[in-house]
Amino acid sequence: MVRFIVEDSGAGSKNLVCNFSGRMDTASCSECENELFEKVTELKAPVIFDMQEVDYVSSAFLRICLKLLKTVGTESFSLVNVHPNVKKVFKIAGFDRQITIS
Amino acid sequence: MGAVSAVDINKILEKAKYASAVFSQLDQEQTDRIVRAVYEAGFNNRIKLAKQSFEETGRGRWEDKVIKNVVATQLVYENIKDLKTVGVISDDTKSGITEIAQPIGPVLALTPLTNPVATVMFKTLIALKTRNPIIISPHPKAVACSIEAARICYEAALKEDAPEDCIKWIDAPSLDLVQAFAGHKDLALVLATGSANLVKAVRGAQTPSIGVNFGNVPVFVEKSADPAFVVEQILISKTFDNGMVCSSEQAIVAEKTISDKVIEELKQQNCHFLSKEEIKAVEKIAIDPSGGMNDGIVGRSALDIAKMAGIEVPEETKVLIAPLKGVGPDHPLSSEILAPILAFYTASNFEYAVKLCMDLNYHGGIGHTASLFSNDEEKIMEFASMMNAGRILVNTPSSQGAVGALYNTLDPSFTLGCGTAGKNITTDNITAKHLLNIQRIARRRISGRLEHFDQNQYFDQTLDAKEIEKKFNLNY
Repeated sequence: MVRFIVEDSGAGSKNLVCNFSGRMDTASCSECENELFEKVTELKAPVIFDMQEVDYVSSAFLRICLKLLKTVGTESFSLVNVHPNVKKVFKIAGFDRQITIS
Repeated sequence: MGAVSAVDINKILEKAKYASAVFSQLDQEQTDRIVRAVYEAGFNNRIKLAKQSFEETGRGRWEDKVIKNVVATQLVYENIKDLKTVGVISDDTKSGITEIAQPIGPVLALTPLTNPVATVMFKTLIALKTRNPIIISPHPKAVACSIEAARICYEAALKEDAPEDCIKWIDAPSLDLVQAFAGHKDLALVLATGSANLVKAVRGAQTPSIGVNFGNVPVFVEKSADPAFVVEQILISKTFDNGMVCSSEQAIVAEKTISDKVIEELKQQNCHFLSKEEIKAVEKIAIDPSGGMNDGIVGRSALDIAKMAGIEVPEETKVLIAPLKGVGPDHPLSSEILAPILAFYTASNFEYAVKLCMDLNYHGGIGHTASLFSNDEEKIMEFASMMNAGRILVNTPSSQGAVGALYNTLDPSFTLGCGTAGKNITTDNITAKHLLNIQRIARRRISGRLEHFDQNQYFDQTLDAKEIEKKFNLNY
């Protein structure tokens, strides 16, 4: 459901890249939420959600994004490789004003 | 939830907005599964909710509320189940137009005292069918039963993976709250079926609304009608849930040649004709000093109303009939009263009858509904063209007729569009199709005439409309 990669972002700093896949429904979100926040707390690095392989996001996933936004702040959280239909979800929810989505 | 603050409103609408976002990903099949589950849950609870609604409001008849719940679930479901509400809904190669259905966003649903549970279930079904989250704002005197209906629908929806928060409700509804919701940027539409104050309150807000206007339904009994049938049908309607449906008949206007037979039938079928003194007594309890309907008699039985007015009527009395000579403030019982009270007029001829019906229609009921019993198609058409009403019901009990599906093929609905007279954009029975934004892909299709027409001629002042038309249509 999610693979975590710590990548070097240059100048000695790191990013936590989370590669999600499939349907991010309530069940899969609850499976990965704890681990995700443990990693975030441990690394204290900017977080990137790679959404290349995600075709559905649930309310639970939106909640994770909001929680993460509060934890790491706008500057340190972004979503990349977002499919248009998923990007539309973030647009309708108004998240695009707080999170960088590409 | 307690009193709802501005912060709560923001939170409720934020969650509804997220539900809206998640909803946008669902396809037709997933959407229809949710709608089916909600319909079944509502239908399976039709009796329990009808009884709860009766116990909480103390109005109407629970048996009739069961029928309303059946209409709001089974018949509404039958009506919308095959409707395409997701993605491409029509595609015409010739015109080059493809239509795509898009959800509109969070809907605030005001629900009334008169049909609390049925309206909740109806509005929820049409909102979910169109992938729109719904926020229920119940009538303050019917909060518990309305919320229970919403809760049952929500649980059923969640079991079919509907988005969280796709159905929300307010447990401390108020006028201020409704106004605050209606003015919120994240709300897409208000479906306003409720008290006059509530409907008015949302009309001035920035959010579009569809609000049911007052009704004051005249029923014209034209001379070709069958009196026994007419009276039977009117009583089926006027006694239904003790006359609480806003499309119920308010005044019978009978042509003179048939009037005596109608009166005789009404008496035979247990209607009590009020004397002048009794009319005065009923006026006092039916109409409040401001001229509006007294809320205390809404949905009470004829016997209860007679008791409240201090008049004696036979135990079997179904409806109180007030023979009147005019319409308007000097004749208070000519106004809308959602209880088993009917005004009665005898009209000397067809023209006078139509004029009386117009007076009744314009006395607080424009845009809503008018009714007639006739077997003369010409008279039916003439009557219809004179009324300002979204629904002209023919040979039909008007309570059930206006709601649709039972006595005609109108869309079943608990929100009856009242046209511009009711500050609405439509006279339709509101249903799922009204909760969609329709996108149109317009492919290039150039008019053959325009293509072959020298458009420089538009700049020739000497060519008038007739000459241009002639050239434009040359060889066409």
